[in-house]
Amino acid sequence: MVQFHEQIITELLDDPNGGLVILSSGLSLSKLISSLLLLHSSSQGTLLLLSPSPSLKSRILYHIKEHNPEPSQIPSEIAADLPAHHRHTLYSSGSIFFITPRILIVDLLTNKLPTSNIAGLILPNAHSLSETSTEAFIVRILRSLNPDAYIRAFSDKPHAMVSGFAKAERTMKCLYVRKLHLWPRFQVCVSQELEKEPPVVVDIRVPMTKYMMGIQKAIIEVMDACLKEMRKTNKVDVEDLTVENGLFKSFDEIVRRQLDPIWHTLGKKTKQLVSDLKTLRKLLDYLVRYDAVTYLRYLDTLRISESFRSVWIFAEASYKIFDYAKKRVYHLARSDGVKLNEPRKSLKNKKRKFKGSDKDSRETDGTPSTSSNAGLVLEEILEEAPKWKVLREVLEEIEEERQKQVISREDVLVEGEDNGIVLVACKDERSCLQLEECIINGPKKVMGEEWKKYLLSKVKLRDIAQQKKKPKDPKGFGILDGVTPITPAQNAKTSSFSKQEHDALLAAASEIRNQDEKDNAVEDPSWSEFGVQLRGKGKRKVGTRETSAIIGVSGDYNVDKKASTNDQNEIYLVEGEFYETTHDGTSVGKTIFRKHTNSDTNQARNTKPLPPVHFYALENDQPILDILKPSVVIVYHPDMTFVREIEVYKAENPSTRLKVYFLFYEDSTEVQKFEASIQRENGAFESLIRQKSMMMIPVNQDGRCLGLNYSTLEPDLTTSQNSITRKAGGRKEADKEMQVIVDMREFMSSLPNVLHQKGMRIIPVTLEVGDYILSPLICVERKSIQDLFMSFTSGRLYHQVETMVRYYRIPVLLIEFSQDKSFSFQSASDIGDDVTPNSIISKLSLLALHFPRLRIIWSRSLHATAEIFTSLKANQDEPDETKAIRVGVPSEEGIVENDVRAENYNTSAVEFLRRLPGVTDSNYRAVMDGCKSLAELALLPMEKLAELMGGQKAARTLREFLDAKYPTLL
Amino acid sequence: PSSHPTQSRNAILVSHRQKGNPLLKHIRNVRWTFSDVVCDYLLGQSSCALYLSLRYHLLHPDYLYYRIRELQKNFKLRVVLCHVDVEDVLKPLLEVTKTALLHDCTLLCGWSLEECGRYLETIKIYENKPADIIQGQMDTDYLSRLSHALTTVRHVNKTDVATLGTTFGSLSNIMGASMEDLARCPGIGERKVKRLFDTFHEPFKRVE
Repeated sequence: MVQFHEQIITELLDDPNGGLVILSSGLSLSKLISSLLLLHSSSQGTLLLLSPSPSLKSRILYHIKEHNPEPSQIPSEIAADLPAHHRHTLYSSGSIFFITPRILIVDLLTNKLPTSNIAGLILPNAHSLSETSTEAFIVRILRSLNPDAYIRAFSDKPHAMVSGFAKAERTMKCLYVRKLHLWPRFQVCVSQELEKEPPVVVDIRVPMTKYMMGIQKAIIEVMDACLKEMRKTNKVDVEDLTVENGLFKSFDEIVRRQLDPIWHTLGKKTKQLVSDLKTLRKLLDYLVRYDAVTYLRYLDTLRISESFRSVWIFAEASYKIFDYAKKRVYHLARSDGVKLNEPRKSLKNKKRKFKGSDKDSRETDGTPSTSSNAGLVLEEILEEAPKWKVLREVLEEIEEERQKQVISREDVLVEGEDNGIVLVACKDERSCLQLEECIINGPKKVMGEEWKKYLLSKVKLRDIAQQKKKPKDPKGFGILDGVTPITPAQNAKTSSFSKQEHDALLAAASEIRNQDEKDNAVEDPSWSEFGVQLRGKGKRKVGTRETSAIIGVSGDYNVDKKASTNDQNEIYLVEGEFYETTHDGTSVGKTIFRKHTNSDTNQARNTKPLPPVHFYALENDQPILDILKPSVVIVYHPDMTFVREIEVYKAENPSTRLKVYFLFYEDSTEVQKFEASIQRENGAFESLIRQKSMMMIPVNQDGRCLGLNYSTLEPDLTTSQNSITRKAGGRKEADKEMQVIVDMREFMSSLPNVLHQKGMRIIPVTLEVGDYILSPLICVERKSIQDLFMSFTSGRLYHQVETMVRYYRIPVLLIEFSQDKSFSFQSASDIGDDVTPNSIISKLSLLALHFPRLRIIWSRSLHATAEIFTSLKANQDEPDETKAIRVGVPSEEGIVENDVRAENYNTSAVEFLRRLPGVTDSNYRAVMDGCKSLAELALLPMEKLAELMGGQKAARTLREFLDAKYPTLL
Repeated sequence: PSSHPTQSRNAILVSHRQKGNPLLKHIRNVRWTFSDVVCDYLLGQSSCALYLSLRYHLLHPDYLYYRIRELQKNFKLRVVLCHVDVEDVLKPLLEVTKTALLHDCTLLCGWSLEECGRYLETIKIYENKPADIIQGQMDTDYLSRLSHALTTVRHVNKTDVATLGTTFGSLSNIMGASMEDLARCPGIGERKVKRLFDTFHEPFKRVE
């Protein structure tokens, strides 16, 4: 345990009411929380841990188990499917539990939780709280029932704690805590401890290739152009619109927060700009993460999937992105060897022809082709990522050093001190897999595989085209409803450049495929054999892969000659501050890390020996350092959080030797982003320190925090207990406590919380029809604006209203606008001259026409909704819980199924199933009964499907859809 | 009382009370004519609308109630078309909502005269229109259907659909793909991989 963790805990325990701790990301929140949990004893009562992310959860468990805890100290899970009495025993057991807010609030509201047994509550993600969130609801109820329970909240995302006005202070009030503890990386205790025995750090700056630089420049140019367009709309604060900000995910937030109040009044173009900026940011990120071929493939798919709407693809500099990305992969040359300069014009034409992804919109463009009709030949370039080579070199260097050590110390190899484990940390699983292959088989092979995949994805298209020519065979290739992709056959007349390029790609692809088929017959398939058949600049020879691979590639390969060598590597000492917060928590939890040990054969094959290497994807978010205890860490993708984790790990294990290599692309946005992230966090902490000095936290005479709106809230909370004495005269309706039946799923929203603040009793149940039952007559379906638009499109709303109308006298659609967004759908100028089917006005009118009994509530905000509910209930009876539950529950042959609960279904799978062709409202239940999962469904034969779906026709429709070949577009 | 019954069937009949309402300027897509009707706008055989400006409501809070009472039980669809023309909407809108709801009227809100006019036009034009545009029937071609299905998984977008399609070749292959194969697709991160995999492999029913 690091000392500053000890200090944090001591300070936190000082106040029996609890407190809020904000620390820098990477300072191991999981270790901090597990240390805190180890101090828990069952005599104190039960401790509840509110909804940590799965990865944080597994980390906490890992650290706790390291310390040989008592059984009661190991947290277990309280899940929704446990029977109520079982949950009750658990709540009284004095142990520690993970629990989701939804379960906890429902149990609190239904009195299934003996609050006096609760010692306290731990909230590990305080930054995601607000006054109206369920967590705040929980704390409020818990505090009112058991004022002695402590609330301890944590956050390791300081920048999220400063978004919005006085967020830290408001969070503290809604948690009823009065102590704020700030632990930035630059705090004296922290920095002293972490810098006492820092790891040895080698900072390697790898130059990017010419084309990578070009692409980066072009993307930034396009981003800049998009931002300029945004500024023109005059709807966003200009100051925030910088490319620098645009590098971060949080940029979307900045823009959205400003645009949200007017989002539905924005033109299509502005909305498109927002999403374009997101795409561009991804492109920048992928540029340094993906290899050249994959990057091109990604661009190709992007072009297919979004070309016709996006603005950026048509921007001036965009063609460079596509052009350079292509040039990193292949060149076109005439078969007589003369190199072609790709005319820019034809490229534009190429772009245009992808306007529609599902219809043949290829234009016959007028660009005259080069005079020769000798055709074009592909020249492979297959540029390798410069970091690959550097990684290889670093690994060799490590191995060399190790060998030297072994020799010098002969038999005194102390295993415990230096276990020789080398860890390579990448951002994602994909990079891990690829790097691993790079190390085993050499980069050439990896690029070759990617290239092959790329080409094969194109050749499928030609197959389709060829079969198409045969008459009357529409089903043979599985394209449904006659949709066929662009076929080269249809463009036989065009002799344009892009056509030739297209043909050249296809030719290369079919060669590969033919080769593949041959390889299946012949032993030992080797892709490099057919590589020769393509005119490659690289003078690859058949069968030389093994010797020429890996090192010395750059000589006869068209890799940028500037690629760094060891001499060029600049070595810095890192001051110890870094970034990157893109991974926010979830993880697969299955594969912890990938281990790769070079087998002897590999060793022999390579020119120089390599140490055993472990690859680890940062997005897995595991306590990898503690698990592996590596002696060398290579940070392949720089990440602030991970760097801090390394520091903490080193501080905890001062005796182990640890060497850290950082691989940065020089002058890249990667570096820029990394540095900016550190500054951003420091800025957040500075602002928090300022806020702390000016904070006003109201307390009562016992020194307890009174919470938010304590003056208005207090009487509301007590209405249930002493409303009779308070409201003695008149006001009959306020005398009895109002009740609202609320669907379980609605506890994701804040309305139940606000209704409770208004003094209503909330009864959580699972409803099949409606979201809120106000009285035996009134049933309400709540829709936020976004929901409203979406569920109109999907048809869900129509269906929901249909059932409400069937079962309730007064079915109500509640259209709930958000407080901080505009209270209107659109501005008068956006309405247009004609009645169009897509307008929200048309849809609402149609809904009203088809369901004249449907009532509509237009609510300005959550609080307005609560107000309206209260007044609607005034003269109505209270709703009946048992009746409400039974309404609309599907019954078969008169038997009411009581156990149909939403949480018992894999809802996304069910929804997915219902959207498949052939599946209808009447047969989807039978399908679910007859097969377990979608994966199983995919394998079912026709006969079985026909049996389940009640008919050959439906079954055939589904089977054909499942097996249909995805049309490939070039 | 109109002398041209065929003409009036295709037109909105406007009460004489509405004379001088600037809203009338914005009814352009449908013909309208003044007539002796009990409602403000007669939009069809059994649908009608009352127009109410919130500003007017603040001055005459009982007006709406009396107008609704006049309608009696002669209409299936009774719209209260509320023009939101005040800044502080909370109290007046609450009152209007309650009155409309408890007296069997459908409340529609417009923030401009254009919008209010458009509601009247649309209800008239759509008088006999089937509901298919709000029943969620989408394009029936392969790609639309595929992305319609795959996008039920949260955060999966059109680009991902294209990536999955080109990588695996068919939907059944996508559904049977391993986590590792899914993770190899560019642009599909850890969380999407997990969501996709869970959707395909977790049983439909969690508890039997």
